[in-house]
Amino acid sequence: MLEVKQVSKVYEGQRGVHQLDFTMERGEIVGFLGPNGAGKTTTMRMITGYLHPTAGSILVDGVSVHEQGQRVRSKIGYLPETPPLYPDMTVQSYLKFVANLRDVPAREVKLRVSEMVSRLGLQGRERQMVRGLSKGYKQRLGLAGAIIHKPDLLVLDEPTSGLDPNQIIEIRDLIRELGQNHTVLLSTHILPEVSTLCNRMLIINQGQLVLDGSPQHFGSAMGDEFKVSIEVKATAEQLHNVLTPWEKVRSEVIQASDANTTKDTSSTSASATTVKMLLTGENSEDFREELFYLLSGAGLPILEMKKENLSLEQIFLKLTTTEATDTDANSADVDKVADAEMDQEDVSSDNDLSSISGTSLSPSTDASSHSRKGEDSK
Amino acid sequence: MRRMMAVCNKELQAYFLSPTSYFAFAVYVLMTSLLFYSSFVYYQPSIVDYRLVLGDTLSMLLFVVPLLTMRLVAEEFRQGTDELLLTSPARVTEIIFGKYLASLAILVVLILCSLVYPFIMSFYGTLDMTTVWMSALGLLFLGGSMMAIGLFASTLSQHQMVSAVAGFIILLVLWMLDSFAGNTGSALQQWLDPFALTNRFDSFMKGVLSGPDILYYVTLSGVFLLLSIQIVERKRWR
Repeated sequence: MLEVKQVSKVYEGQRGVHQLDFTMERGEIVGFLGPNGAGKTTTMRMITGYLHPTAGSILVDGVSVHEQGQRVRSKIGYLPETPPLYPDMTVQSYLKFVANLRDVPAREVKLRVSEMVSRLGLQGRERQMVRGLSKGYKQRLGLAGAIIHKPDLLVLDEPTSGLDPNQIIEIRDLIRELGQNHTVLLSTHILPEVSTLCNRMLIINQGQLVLDGSPQHFGSAMGDEFKVSIEVKATAEQLHNVLTPWEKVRSEVIQASDANTTKDTSSTSASATTVKMLLTGENSEDFREELFYLLSGAGLPILEMKKENLSLEQIFLKLTTTEATDTDANSADVDKVADAEMDQEDVSSDNDLSSISGTSLSPSTDASSHSRKGEDSK
Repeated sequence: MRRMMAVCNKELQAYFLSPTSYFAFAVYVLMTSLLFYSSFVYYQPSIVDYRLVLGDTLSMLLFVVPLLTMRLVAEEFRQGTDELLLTSPARVTEIIFGKYLASLAILVVLILCSLVYPFIMSFYGTLDMTTVWMSALGLLFLGGSMMAIGLFASTLSQHQMVSAVAGFIILLVLWMLDSFAGNTGSALQQWLDPFALTNRFDSFMKGVLSGPDILYYVTLSGVFLLLSIQIVERKRWR
């Protein structure tokens, strides 16, 4: 469907994108991630024919964007970061204009416009000036313009930025729906969005592709082990005695709270302390059941047990900061960006990828970002 | 073709909604009617000849045309809507011609406005209608090439005012070309003369439809439209 071959873009001596290489199959929803200035927008602009690459070629259905631009552009729907709207037009006249511009058959224009209006929930606003629309409605109108000609490939540059959580959910549902008939490439700052929407993700940093794969399989892709955090009603010593003989699991105490140290003596006996622990298996095998029987056999009640995933934020940080540490000056900025993104994540509705303690990361990456990460999760 | 008409329609809508075009029209009508008053009503005895009025009012185009064209492309760049146009299947040629066509339509309205003066004159004597119609046609050619220049100026910047000033300067240079080299008859002057904007207009005012003059205006428009297309196309190579 889409082939990006060794594409580079150089802006007046400054490198925008360097030898980018990836392909997309029909029906895929691909998330495009990267810190600010990584080259996401530049790449999308090259795919849509707004910019020509300095080197390399981009093919859509085997046709070069650069050489047969017109043919290719009619197959692509593109929503730039700020929706390209004319403030002085009404919603209806804008959609009509875009439909005509994008080769919608003349007799279908009316039908298609009303279809878009109802599909994107713009009813009752057909005659309203674009200038007076709220940000969310502008985004919807921009999206309507991008899909009005039923494109094969849909390129969305941060489609949910600046929307409130309800609107984000609506737009995501819409994108998911669109993904059934179209191929979608979307860039985003909100990491959980990728795991809820996309079946593949690309991470780009400083103009280069650093990761390509499915967000669901990232744990194993990153050489991850099975991790469980538990809270057990026992002393650290008791727990240690039980777990040390069990060789396939490495254990590590995160927090041990001793009830004796607290003033509240009425409700607890002398032995009632709790230990929080992180257990790491040797491989990806699920050892939770075994753990349950082991501890219950030893008479140590499990208060809490939770499987830990290597979250997208961690993958993202790992990939984009280790790259950046090569050039020290940039690393601080990248961290800042990542932090900002994590803040943004709070706004979003999905928390299936809630961040966990930074200690669960493999030791190969740089320590500073992890300690920072640890602070965040507290 | 349909895409070109879509762009043209959109521009016409924008013309009718933008306060700038009303302002430009108001300036044009106000100034030309003042000049009409001074050269026809105030100046006695009144001579019933449209060309006398037209000659005076012609220079008003210098101010009005940049006002009417400055928005055309500059605003697209500023609003980021060029991203919509350049990623649509429309060719840049279609986009630029669509915009040019809209500006020509506005020019026709402007010319119709200025035909009010010969209409008033016709009550006070017999007008030579041939020269009136030919002048109107000449105005279309002259104004058309000026619009093309204004459109070109509009592609140079994303700020409307910069575009307007650039357009005004280019027009002024071409307008004054015949008086630049100073004393008439010098070799440079003779070489420059045929390129001056207004010199070519004289034949229309005389009621003569001259091939070279039409060719001049058409070529001038063509050159600036081509330059506009190239400049917009070049944006892809930034």
